[in-house]
Amino acid sequence: MKIELENLNKRIAGTGNFISVDNNKCNRCGRCLIICIMNLWRKKDDTIYIVDDYQSKCLECASCYQVCEAGAINFQYPVGGTGVVYEKG
Amino acid sequence: MNTYDIIIVGAGPGGSIAAKTAAEMGLKTVFFERGRKPGEKNSSGCGLGPRMWKDFEIMKELTPEKCPSMRAGVAARNYFVNKEDIVAGYIMARPTESVSYEPAKSWITMNIYRSEFDPWISEFATDAGAELKTSTLIVDLIKENGKVCGVIDEKGEKYRASIVIGADGVISTVAVKSGLRTKWAQNQVTLTTQYDFQAPPEKIDDIMGDEALAVWWGATFPASYQVFFRDGFHQGLGNWMTWWDKNPLFYLNKVVNLKYYQRLLKILEAKPRELQAHLLPWLDYPHNTHTDGVILIGDAGGFPCPLEAEGIYPAMLTGKIAAEVATEAISSGDVSKAVLHKFDEMWQKTSIGEEFEAGYELWNIWKALPFSPKETMSWFVPMIMELLGGIFDWSQPHALRIRQIASQIKSYMPKATPFIMKYVFPLVAKIFEDDLDKLMDPKKIMTILPKLLELLPQKKRKRGGKEK
Repeated sequence: MKIELENLNKRIAGTGNFISVDNNKCNRCGRCLIICIMNLWRKKDDTIYIVDDYQSKCLECASCYQVCEAGAINFQYPVGGTGVVYEKG
Repeated sequence: MNTYDIIIVGAGPGGSIAAKTAAEMGLKTVFFERGRKPGEKNSSGCGLGPRMWKDFEIMKELTPEKCPSMRAGVAARNYFVNKEDIVAGYIMARPTESVSYEPAKSWITMNIYRSEFDPWISEFATDAGAELKTSTLIVDLIKENGKVCGVIDEKGEKYRASIVIGADGVISTVAVKSGLRTKWAQNQVTLTTQYDFQAPPEKIDDIMGDEALAVWWGATFPASYQVFFRDGFHQGLGNWMTWWDKNPLFYLNKVVNLKYYQRLLKILEAKPRELQAHLLPWLDYPHNTHTDGVILIGDAGGFPCPLEAEGIYPAMLTGKIAAEVATEAISSGDVSKAVLHKFDEMWQKTSIGEEFEAGYELWNIWKALPFSPKETMSWFVPMIMELLGGIFDWSQPHALRIRQIASQIKSYMPKATPFIMKYVFPLVAKIFEDDLDKLMDPKKIMTILPKLLELLPQKKRKRGGKEK
């Protein structure tokens, strides 16, 4: 059974940019690539980045921020009243 | 300028109880919620235990009209899943004869969706006079002479108060900006992911009966919990940050794709409805809970139960205590760290404090058992199944079967014995304190064990019970 993840979550637009990575601090450990449930992190040419449309997919769990020992990932919850809504959480 | 006596950042169950308590004690109180309403940013945290009804009068007002998802159950099921991803057996258990709190004999948890529970509980705070500001994210603290005296929201609006209570969950802005911590250590926080499945209420009742929840103990995935609501259920699992070697959903999908599980989904007519993920602090002990003008409660303070990570009750209890301590400090005119230390003294006297007295041992054994599938559950599951199911075999004489089972169990001992020494004995010694501490001394056990073995009959008896 393959569960389609698209459309399983309701979201309110207007989050603004709430995750960023500082590649000068990043040590390429790759833990953010593994831990992201929604698989939103990428590695290309020794650079780590988050996909452009992460705002419409992110579950705001902050795992990428927490797991980053280098302190390279900045995370702040989205603007009040926006982002993922858990109706059955 | 917005001036209050007390500011509470977060309107979860802990923040709401803190706001209610503070407002009832006459403080000008405001509490903030980043969602459009309380509860819409929460996932998990769904099981309410009977002690909440004992300690919080308001719980008696919780009804299906207020919280349509509520479903209480009296039984819990434990599934054991082996290395081949087969459900090798299960135990369904109801409260046992030693349960002392009378209501806990008729139900073990009341399950609710937080999206319904949190708005309900926040109303007790607003009814008491606390002001709730929704869709407002607090991003910083106001400090004067190095001391916290208010908060700043994302629009730059400032709110001042003598005390700020951090009820803002696992990634707590209040904790970080007040300098109480920079970030959790990786072994202090778990990542949990879960599906919500919808299912017709009558199917859940017919098939699950009065079961409230289940734990799926796996030899290839971390223990996965299943919690039943009126018209749906959560299936989730988690582990400490350092454990993951693959996307956590890989492990959760393993559970969902068990043949047994697929059958269950089919007969329950269940369909995936929502995907959720959250971090959950899971500590052996809460440290750094307060500083000048700041107290951290609930998840922000690291209060979830060290064994099962139950979070709502500890959040509500620490919220109440924090508001009481804050009120007293404000009226005395001294909100320094030294005065707010009373917060620690008070929660340590409660059942949460008692829980954390054996916090390290509980946390340690749990981490090593259900959350270490490859190292521990890979032998634990077949060992349990030998004990539970080994006798059901009609291919051999029973005496032979018992010898086979005993021999099989013996083969797990090289792994089981060090585990018992390392994790079980320290826990038992801690819980029973001094007297058992001596009894459980591994050296002493090793000297007694051979003597006990000598007591066993050495000769086999002949048929009919006569001596050889």
